[in-house]
Amino acid sequence: MKKTNRKTIIAVLVIAVALIALLIATTRSSTQYFLTVSELRSGEVDMTGRNVRMSGVVLGDSIVYDPKTLDLTFEVAQIPGDHRIIKEMGGMALVLEKAAADPSLPRITIHYNGVKPDLLKHEAQAIVSGSLDANGIFQAKELLLKCPSKYESDLPNQVGN
Amino acid sequence: MFYLGLISFAASMLAMLVALILTIFQLIKRQTVLTESIVTLASVSFGLHTLSVLTLMAMQVLQDYTISYVVSVVNSVMPTILKMTAIWGGQAGSLFFWGWTLNLVLFLSLHVRRQIQDGWSFLFTALNLLFFGALSLFAENPFSRVWLTESGNILEGVFSPAAGASVYGGISGFGLNPLLRHWGMVIHPPILYFGFALFLVPFCVAISYLIRGESGEGLLGETRLWLLSAWILLTAGIVLGSWWSYDVLGWGGYWAWDPVETASLIPWFTSTGLLHSLLLQKQRKIFKRFNFVLILLTYILIIFSILITRAGLLSSVHAFGESNISLHLTLLTLTLFMVSVALLAWRWRRLQSGWELTSLVTRDAAFLYTNVVLIALTIVCFYGLVYPLITGVLTGTQIGLDRTFFDKAATPLFILLATLMAVCPLSAWTINAIRQLGKSAVIPLILSILLTVTSFFFLIKSWLALLVLFVVAFGLLLMLALSLRDCKTPREAGKRWWGLRARHGAWFVHAGVLLIALGIVGMEGLSGSIQGTMIPGDKMPLRSYHVEFVQLTTEYENPEYLTIEAELVLWKDGKAVAKLYPGQHLYESRGQYISIPDKQSTLRGDFYTLLLDYNSMMGYVTIQASDNPLVNFMWIGALLMVLGAALAASLPWKSLQLGDDEQYETELSCS
Repeated sequence: MKKTNRKTIIAVLVIAVALIALLIATTRSSTQYFLTVSELRSGEVDMTGRNVRMSGVVLGDSIVYDPKTLDLTFEVAQIPGDHRIIKEMGGMALVLEKAAADPSLPRITIHYNGVKPDLLKHEAQAIVSGSLDANGIFQAKELLLKCPSKYESDLPNQVGN
Repeated sequence: MFYLGLISFAASMLAMLVALILTIFQLIKRQTVLTESIVTLASVSFGLHTLSVLTLMAMQVLQDYTISYVVSVVNSVMPTILKMTAIWGGQAGSLFFWGWTLNLVLFLSLHVRRQIQDGWSFLFTALNLLFFGALSLFAENPFSRVWLTESGNILEGVFSPAAGASVYGGISGFGLNPLLRHWGMVIHPPILYFGFALFLVPFCVAISYLIRGESGEGLLGETRLWLLSAWILLTAGIVLGSWWSYDVLGWGGYWAWDPVETASLIPWFTSTGLLHSLLLQKQRKIFKRFNFVLILLTYILIIFSILITRAGLLSSVHAFGESNISLHLTLLTLTLFMVSVALLAWRWRRLQSGWELTSLVTRDAAFLYTNVVLIALTIVCFYGLVYPLITGVLTGTQIGLDRTFFDKAATPLFILLATLMAVCPLSAWTINAIRQLGKSAVIPLILSILLTVTSFFFLIKSWLALLVLFVVAFGLLLMLALSLRDCKTPREAGKRWWGLRARHGAWFVHAGVLLIALGIVGMEGLSGSIQGTMIPGDKMPLRSYHVEFVQLTTEYENPEYLTIEAELVLWKDGKAVAKLYPGQHLYESRGQYISIPDKQSTLRGDFYTLLLDYNSMMGYVTIQASDNPLVNFMWIGALLMVLGAALAASLPWKSLQLGDDEQYETELSCS
């Protein structure tokens, strides 16, 4: 019995070490910083070239898409990253609407190569993953869009429109 | 109808509450058998709950726009089936529906297999149910109405939010998001919910065993069918989601490691592990503690998955957005976790089981390895999921992991798992039998090596894809060879095959997983795509195919959207093989369009086309065409998994004795 126990412990340890090594190695190469537009713009830490995930509101007029080359560029404006702040400000739908209309907020240009997503439109929330290039353009590798009206958002706001 | 729905729902919860209180009194008197009155109350609760769900559905179909939930998910032109299923299209409705599935499961457990519910397990089932019922009643009420105040403001509330306000039904419905208007929406959510909910019963039964301090031998027989059916539905639900995601482009391909997808996969890993170790507990009387841990963990992970979906903590395409029930769900997850840990710690000694692993190459050991890999996958996925949350708390700025993390960390584990499945039929009980069985592996081994070498020269150079291909081919051929071996005289073989259907069912499941792996190799390693802009008459080449653009059509066939379709002819080796109509649905009032891909599906793979852009004035279109070889093996594999599990489930638990298998092995080694 004791002998088996020792064997078991050794086996568990070996597996645990292998798993931790796998996790550390992959974590290191896949780390991604979640930032807001203004955090990225402020330049407190130089994020150029680092793997960043960022969320902002799409400005409809800035969308340029070339279906031949699949080059897509558009601007997004700052929205808060914290759910609580968004809630205090009246919910995501309202935050997006206000942010899109407020020219004083920091903005950033995003470039993406690929099929233009169906939900890319004015006041949609864009969640992009990629990195900032030397020209200050965000080169997105992944582009995810959410429209708060897509599911329910606060009904009175929607109805009020 | 509002009153009917709300009152029947409230009364249903009240009945359940009374049943709960009665149960507590019973338990104080140390009576663990449920009385008739408790069972009746629970059944009444289920009946009323059902009535209330049907009422909400009816209000959706009848477009009762005084109900704010109806306003948000239904509009006048949606087909009736979508109007009905919109009940799980939004936060409040789907939470309400989830509560009902729990009640349905409780009802089944009380009536179909009566012995499963004693006082303690009923107590926990009812508590879980009441928790979600209370959330629906007090936080996310689906019967909440729209009110117009005297000053002209529109507010939302179950009852009048201000003096003088009146119920207002003047807002026409927004309708379900176009991306959700798909067959996937009709079947994927409820199947997944039922799969999730069925795990409640094993969880509560296990809790009850721990409280009563029973040794846990009976646990297996009682919960096996629940676990198997839950596992079948969970598997089907996950794959249906993947198929939907592939069928419409908007969700980002067949699998994207989206937090919600990942969260539903984690309980799948633990429950799959459970199915393996349950068999070992039955046959070898080992792994008892491990099984208790897995049963409890699976349900906790399911609640965690619901938390991820509903709390909006992580950004995801599926998430319902920010919500005010995240705190409640977090508390539920933590409470369940702490109760489970406390109970396990209390009864740990009683759950002792012998630990005898005679050799590292027996089937017992293979099961152990499988579970080690599954647990490792659970840890990897859970870690990847909560990493951004933890770093957010620790550092203030969130540092997350991109999806390459999952690809990199999970791929080696998946390959290990596939390898274990491939050699599974070889892992017999004793060394002697292996030597015998090893002989039958020679031909499959040679064939799969040949296949892999051929693929290397003609198909693909990626060593990773080749490795998977080899494992898949070997596993499938081995299972085929061993099955054929059983078939010396057809009639006899059929009988024996049926007698050993638990084993063959498991092989089906394994073959299904291997086929899914084959599909993934096709999608990740062999697919090719091209896009181009064409005018009518143009042709675009892709591999042995050509896509010809014929014309662009625009039609108002549906009142809600404009249908734009490109007519394409697919040519293969100079012959026209199919007409394809990729298009877009343009929802003008929403300012939104969705792409409707069209594909030619064959066993070989899919030819998938997408209308990226068009100009009806100039008459040109931009088309993306992809050749996705082997992709359909994913869906075939999933079907095989579900069928295999059902086949295994059809064998009564009692006959899953060791005897049959041992006898079988002896016969094998003698033959």
